[in-house]
Amino acid sequence: MTETVARLAPVGLAWRPNGQVVLSGPLLRLARACDEAFTVLADVWRAEPEEHPALLDAEALQAVDFLTSFPHLASFAGCLDAGEENLRDFTAQPLDDSGVRLTRLAPVRDVLTPAACYHVYVHHRGESLTAPMHLTTLNTCFRRETHYLPLRRQWTFRMREIVCLGTRQEVTDFLRGTRELVTALFEELALPISWEAATDPFFQPTRSPKYLAQRLRPTKHEAQYGELAIASVNLHEDSFGDAYEITRAGSPVTTGCVAFGLERWLFALTDRYGADPYAWPDVAAMARRVAGVASEAAAP
Amino acid sequence: MPSDLDTLRKWVIGKAKDLPPEGLTDDLPLLAGRHLTSLHVPELILLLERLRGAPIDVEQLRAGDFHSLRVIADRFLDGAR
Repeated sequence: MTETVARLAPVGLAWRPNGQVVLSGPLLRLARACDEAFTVLADVWRAEPEEHPALLDAEALQAVDFLTSFPHLASFAGCLDAGEENLRDFTAQPLDDSGVRLTRLAPVRDVLTPAACYHVYVHHRGESLTAPMHLTTLNTCFRRETHYLPLRRQWTFRMREIVCLGTRQEVTDFLRGTRELVTALFEELALPISWEAATDPFFQPTRSPKYLAQRLRPTKHEAQYGELAIASVNLHEDSFGDAYEITRAGSPVTTGCVAFGLERWLFALTDRYGADPYAWPDVAAMARRVAGVASEAAAP
Repeated sequence: MPSDLDTLRKWVIGKAKDLPPEGLTDDLPLLAGRHLTSLHVPELILLLERLRGAPIDVEQLRAGDFHSLRVIADRFLDGAR
């Protein structure tokens, strides 16, 4: 049992060593309060909620080179070929010591979503926007890793995102404004955070043009609690607008997102405030205070 | 014989999109201005390695190293101009 699990099991953490957690009781309530806090920040932009499925069309995802950039992270939705003989062969011994003994697979066409916001761009494919669009979505995300740590590095985890599609100016204003809101929330929470330029975990990074470009001109900044990134601010330029033919003012839209890793927030808050739920801050109330100040400042 | 900077300038002019009316200046932000994209970066690294006759360790690249012609020349071509 890891130190984190030993500390938090009494308040609702259970750990599956293949990179998954079960939340219950006080810790689940804290997770919901964190998500409520993020949606309060999203409301500052009047972001419309969207709820997307867990599966994402692989062909759509590859339109932005995901499978070539991050093959090591991908988890696929595989199903057996439905032929009766194939299924009968499978049932003869579905499992052995190495795991499931797959027989012939049906064509694999879907990826278990690796980030919440990909769905948004695919969903709005082909649209022409007449105003900036702000959206928010929560999803269970899947990223295969070489090792896992409870709440910090998981195969499946929850991600809340606030997304903006618009002109470059609209998106950079959104990212700057949201980063200020998130920073104000960190201050309310007395969480010691530093914002750092970061790169995405590309496969064979030194051969990846996108990785090299991220090093030369950072488009991703992470809010780090110690060495743990608990939120990130990302400018995608027009990558998604171009790939999915979403336009604004006659050009491919610029997109940007602010992402929050729910389990990582649980780690940071319980590391900072301990395992006693009575010592935990009211995260949602603090977010409402931060959002209220921002709204008053923006009022004419 | 063209200088290294002339060769670099000619390469950028051949690749850059949406250059301003005054053309390519030494301080024009190449990546931030979206005149060059990520797809140009590996080829630019190869060009610089050929011009300077030494490899570039991409793990040592820092934000802003390819900001403009002037910065690239100062950083990778011994300020050749």
